[in-house]
Amino acid sequence: MKLVRKQPSNPAPRAASHAAHTPERTMNRREFLQRSGITVSGVAAVSALPFSMVKKAAATTEPASSGETKQVRTVCTHCSVGCGIYAEVKNGVWTGQEPAFDHPFNRGAHCAKGASVREHGHGERRLKYPTKLVNGEWQRVSWEEAVNEIGDKMLAIREQSGPDSVYWLGSAKHNNEQAYLFRKFAAFWGTNNVDHQARICHSTTVAGVANTWGYGAMTNSYNDIHNSQAMLVIGGNPTEAHPVAMQHLFLAKERNKAPLIVIDPRFTRTAAHADLYMRIRPGTDVPVVWGMLWHIFENGWEDQGFIRQRVYGMDEVRQEVAKWTPDEVERVSGVPEETVKRAAKLMAENRPGTFIWCMGGTQHTIGNNNTRAYCIFQLALGNLGVSGGGTNIFRGHDNVQGATDLGVLSHTLPGYYGLAEGAWKHWAKVWDVDYDWLVSRFDREERAGEYFGEEGSDAPTIDAMTQKGIPVSRWIDGVLEAKDKIAQKDNVRAMVFWGHAPNSQTRGPEMKDAMEKLDLMVIIDPYPTVSAVMSDRKDGVYLLPAATQFETYGSVTASNRSLQWRDKVIDPLFESKPDHNIMYLLAKKFGFSDEFFKNIQVNGDEPLIEDITREFNKGMWTIGYTGQSPERLKEHQQNWHTFDFTTLQARGGPAHGDFYGMPWPCWGTAEMKHPGTPNLYDTSKSVAEGGLTFRARFGVERDGVSLLADGSYGKGSEIKDGYPEFTADVLKNLGWWDDLTDDEKALAEGTNWKTDLSGGIQRVAIKHGCSPFGNAKARCVVWTFPDPVPVHREPLYTSRRDLVEKYPTYEDRKDFYRLPTRYESIQAKDYTNDYPLIMTSGRLVEYEGGGDETRSNPWLAELQQNMFAEINIVDANNAGIKAGDMIWVEGPEGGRIKVMAKVTDEGIAPGVVWLPFHFGGHFQGRDLRDKYPKGSDPYVLGEACNTAFTYGYDSVTAMQETKCSLCRISRA
Amino acid sequence: MNVQHRRVMMRTLVWCVFIALVLPLIPYAWSSLENGAVPNPGTQLWRDVRQRDGAIVGSTQVSGVDAGVLISVYGERWRHYRMNELVPYGAYAMGGVLAFIGLYFLVRRRMRIEGGRSGEKLLRFTLFQRWVHWSTAALFLLLALTGLVLLYGRFVLIPVLGPEGFGTTAEVCKWTHNISGPLFIVAITVMFITYLPGNVPAWHDIKWVFKGGGFFGGHASAGRYNAGEKAWFWSTCLLGLLLGISGVVLLDLITVFGQGRDFMEFAHVIHSVISLFLICFSFGHMYLATIGMEGALESMTTGRVDTNWAKAHHDLWYEEEMAKRSNKAQRPGSRGATGQVAEPDAGT
Amino acid sequence: MARMKFLCDAQRCIECNGCVTACKNENEVPWGVNRRRVVTINDGQPGERSMSVACMHCSDAPCAAVCPVDCFYTTDDGVVLHDKDICIGCGYCFYACPFGAPQFPRDGAFGTRGKMDKCTFCAGGPLTDNSAEEYAKYGSNRLAEGKLPLCAEMCATKALLAGDGDVVADIYRERITYRGSATLAWGWGVAYGKQGIRQGGGLEGRSSEKPE
Repeated sequence: MKLVRKQPSNPAPRAASHAAHTPERTMNRREFLQRSGITVSGVAAVSALPFSMVKKAAATTEPASSGETKQVRTVCTHCSVGCGIYAEVKNGVWTGQEPAFDHPFNRGAHCAKGASVREHGHGERRLKYPTKLVNGEWQRVSWEEAVNEIGDKMLAIREQSGPDSVYWLGSAKHNNEQAYLFRKFAAFWGTNNVDHQARICHSTTVAGVANTWGYGAMTNSYNDIHNSQAMLVIGGNPTEAHPVAMQHLFLAKERNKAPLIVIDPRFTRTAAHADLYMRIRPGTDVPVVWGMLWHIFENGWEDQGFIRQRVYGMDEVRQEVAKWTPDEVERVSGVPEETVKRAAKLMAENRPGTFIWCMGGTQHTIGNNNTRAYCIFQLALGNLGVSGGGTNIFRGHDNVQGATDLGVLSHTLPGYYGLAEGAWKHWAKVWDVDYDWLVSRFDREERAGEYFGEEGSDAPTIDAMTQKGIPVSRWIDGVLEAKDKIAQKDNVRAMVFWGHAPNSQTRGPEMKDAMEKLDLMVIIDPYPTVSAVMSDRKDGVYLLPAATQFETYGSVTASNRSLQWRDKVIDPLFESKPDHNIMYLLAKKFGFSDEFFKNIQVNGDEPLIEDITREFNKGMWTIGYTGQSPERLKEHQQNWHTFDFTTLQARGGPAHGDFYGMPWPCWGTAEMKHPGTPNLYDTSKSVAEGGLTFRARFGVERDGVSLLADGSYGKGSEIKDGYPEFTADVLKNLGWWDDLTDDEKALAEGTNWKTDLSGGIQRVAIKHGCSPFGNAKARCVVWTFPDPVPVHREPLYTSRRDLVEKYPTYEDRKDFYRLPTRYESIQAKDYTNDYPLIMTSGRLVEYEGGGDETRSNPWLAELQQNMFAEINIVDANNAGIKAGDMIWVEGPEGGRIKVMAKVTDEGIAPGVVWLPFHFGGHFQGRDLRDKYPKGSDPYVLGEACNTAFTYGYDSVTAMQETKCSLCRISRA
Repeated sequence: MNVQHRRVMMRTLVWCVFIALVLPLIPYAWSSLENGAVPNPGTQLWRDVRQRDGAIVGSTQVSGVDAGVLISVYGERWRHYRMNELVPYGAYAMGGVLAFIGLYFLVRRRMRIEGGRSGEKLLRFTLFQRWVHWSTAALFLLLALTGLVLLYGRFVLIPVLGPEGFGTTAEVCKWTHNISGPLFIVAITVMFITYLPGNVPAWHDIKWVFKGGGFFGGHASAGRYNAGEKAWFWSTCLLGLLLGISGVVLLDLITVFGQGRDFMEFAHVIHSVISLFLICFSFGHMYLATIGMEGALESMTTGRVDTNWAKAHHDLWYEEEMAKRSNKAQRPGSRGATGQVAEPDAGT
Repeated sequence: MARMKFLCDAQRCIECNGCVTACKNENEVPWGVNRRRVVTINDGQPGERSMSVACMHCSDAPCAAVCPVDCFYTTDDGVVLHDKDICIGCGYCFYACPFGAPQFPRDGAFGTRGKMDKCTFCAGGPLTDNSAEEYAKYGSNRLAEGKLPLCAEMCATKALLAGDGDVVADIYRERITYRGSATLAWGWGVAYGKQGIRQGGGLEGRSSEKPE
């Protein structure tokens, strides 16, 4: 309920709602008002209006109210676009939400979720107190009690089964500081069984893209799309998943006449605005992309110069692409030649074009093949390293990029350093702890075969510290699989769901069993989530209320790699605590808080966020999270209005020359004031200005062929050719060693650009115009992957048995991320008789992720009250189903869900069923509302589609295959 | 400059202007000739949406009546009906009927009983029948008055009561109207059952109509109820029932079959037309039953009418009643047609 | 005097419902009442278009014309508002409105219609500007603070525009010019051979089944 407010000191009012949409060629009256009006008081702003729209003379004649209205700058907590928000707070109550017209990403715009974030300040359905399940009833407990009991249980499990038996599942909703702390926490606990949503979202992207040219992130930015001459979206639906990004796509469409190509099995809302819509069979991304490339090679549309200078291995790709003739493409994917050719032609004739994808491309057993195919397509056209081009990967949650970068992953440490000894030593240095002590925290086999495999075998012993941990997509197998089949001491016995819902992972019935088998479940979240109700457990479940990102502060990384600083809007509601506070309490309980917070000031229970930022600034050299100091971040936050809408560069103002949010890599120390890198791999700018080359990550040469760039180098580079990554020795060889200061030399000796804590190596390399990580070619062949050149393989549960022979899946594996993993043994069986329809999933604009948070917001919940399945009218009629009927959707592994039927003519093709994945709270027809703690059940409940989804994991990252499975439908 | 020069210059100027105007149109005409004018592709879609060629209903995430309808043209049609037709013509109709009745009264004065009162009384309506009549009538009047306030109050009463005052009045009227409505349905159903005997149309009613109820062509025979009364009976009962049903629809207590606005508008048209018709008709009924005719009102207040009045206006009924009486008189103690023991000096 | 208008650019509307929730947020509108909604025509087919609609603040408002108690009034800005204290919840304004803007919470006795509620262009109601009572009854009064309706201010793609009718028209005209639809309607596109991808003007998506 809003209270009386005085005229807030707001950005100046506008003559119309539409803030300047033109690229800044001229400053029109609106912009002038905006910019000059920022610090002007309300009265003056009102009188500056060109039209006297206001009835009252001035708001200051209003009755004075107690308490000022504060304006707090923050960032939306939902998706990775990172829309700015002005929160109005009065007396500690969040009373209003104003659009941030001056924010460079969204210009005040929001989607349904962003426009309703103020409801977080109401929080009626929040988890309010620490709660414990006792005999099937929820009981309130105190924080102290909860932490003590949980800690004791975990220490007991650690004692009996080793630290790997506790799984720390983290979140994409942590801010950067919390994410960093979380990874460090798992390391101090002594396990790599730590992961977060990126695994099931864009893990294949990161792996595929990083292994192609060095970094696995969005190469350009949402704003940079203004310069695109063509846009291709495959497996993505930005109108629902990233609505504000559509603002940028529309500008390209309207100003540049850039054609929008949409490739999707479903005629989505994005497809409704497309110039060319291509309907494909789910799971046939590689055939389609290779099909387009076939036409490009056939007609000589590729960028030969670019390929020669900056790409390795295109010839092997040509060989593979030659197999994908138009007939074969149509046979496999269903897309006729004419459409494929048209798409290829549009991209070839309208350069630079940008390539966008989301889960439609990533969530497959061959996800890493898909993402690499997309990259190769752009490489062939020379669309990398140019403004308007690039692979613009739209990430999911608000800080999945940050959490990924800060290593909340089972296969690496913060900054993608990996898990080798060198990586651990680096971080031990940064954390200021003894490396050997860290080693002692982890488990290891005494002798080969003790935990896993044959006893007394010659296999190397398992060293849990350097071995990839179990990913979130497989945690249930960590619980259910036979102990001796898992490459760790014992099963997973305790799960911590920290800001992560369970209904976004597959195999629901097995997950229920896994939950019931666990010794302990701890859910740390602002909402109970489906984890609290899914199983039939009677005890051993703790719910700890976490605070949302509006109740704390810190930095967050948007999809375009910009870091943004959030201020705290309100104090934590009820008894919730911010994540870093909770980590402190647990660290204290486990006895390592002193070491853990050695260089981080702790006030009461709260670790100081800025100290945490500074700590990761000290260590994140690989991806350049080092220049974004708290001071610079806050400066950017206070000066949103100075950043250009298209280039994101500040023109004038305190941050002059910086790119908004100092998109990483922001090289060197903060003192160096690197402006950030807005578009990756852009050689038209010097590195000091934000330019970059491809990373020399894969060696200097292979099979006699050089992997370094050939005659291509960044602007101002003193080395006018390719070069390897910079180490202390390289600097010495080049004669640049003495450019380092003495302090820098001391730290840099014997290190490389990734491990030099002084940042001097990076500074000097950049000083000479060189990229610290080298200047190499992007590679089309990833020789360390199961499929070096991306190929097509049919999904495990495929509807096309006739293609399995030619495009089979992988062989089964014994130890993949510690677990046996099946491929061909599943594909071998033909399910198509009983399960004839293809099952796929996607997003809705009103909800996000597992959905408990957004379904607890009445303003959003009212708009989507029923879980549904979208089916084609032909399939509906065959099954005797009418629109609005309740139906059963059953998957081949036995999971079945009861949902409402939405029947469409052309929205989805016959033979395909589409399900949104945000619902939870019903399970196989049963309503679980009563099982929620009282007052914390979301308004809207529904079946989780992943209850019916099936086994299937990407061959490199163990991403789950949720975009192509099988199902059957019947009337309920 | 001489005339010749001027003429040439004029001509040149005219030609230039002409060319300047026509030239730009050529490509347009060319393209129209080539393959027909390139239509704005959105035209058909938006035309359909505006329901000129066929209704398109869209979809929406918001639930509610007609939420999927983007633009409803029926609303304007209905607004035109209510404000430009119902309001003025209703007023004219009522005014016209009242004026006519007024004129008629001025000319004709109160219609006296032929031959004066006889002094003898005849039972016409039982207590129960009178109760039914008056309750229904009261409800009808309440409904009519409150309904008229809702229809015309804005023009007539706001100047008198002011906006807030009228608002309260209208609120009260609306509640009264809404509660009386369902009660009226019950009442009119009971009335129908009660008054049906005698109201069934008969052949002599046609003759009565052609004789103008006795206006021309001499005396017109009528049974218990004459054709006019029968018309009134059937109107109130059938139309009144329709009125009630349409009223309940308008109450929107239960959106019975997901009715949209167009159905509600249809219900409103029925409701308003019938109600005004009945109101006008009721003016006639009330006039005739009270001022217009001597001896009429007492039939519904006391239940008895003068036999001369009965002979004059309902002669066939009078004869039936007399016949029944004489039958009864032959069998003392037996109950007559009216269910009462015949009294020797009934009515004195 | 500025005349306030809404305009929703159907070429840009993506049915994100940002306007819907922004309105709910700003005016604390209860469950069941939706002042603004997004309607989609031809959902799931080429030619799908969405438009956000709420009260359009008509110059000759049908709702005001049919109201039995005359509770509507138009402000100097052209905003059509009404007085809930006078409203009797009869529903006539809902019948007359082409856009279905009036909403009725079912909180009258016996579940009948309560007082009418509708989009106020974020201009509150007849009570004192920005007072607590005004907020409780009508929602926010942003116009009195010199701001514009939040639905339009927060539109994800700047499809929904609100404000002075002349300015809104200017913005939209500029967009049309950029999109080139004007030339399309006149056939220049044909004459200059710009057929092909721009012929549809983006109004019809092309599916793989449709030949060019």
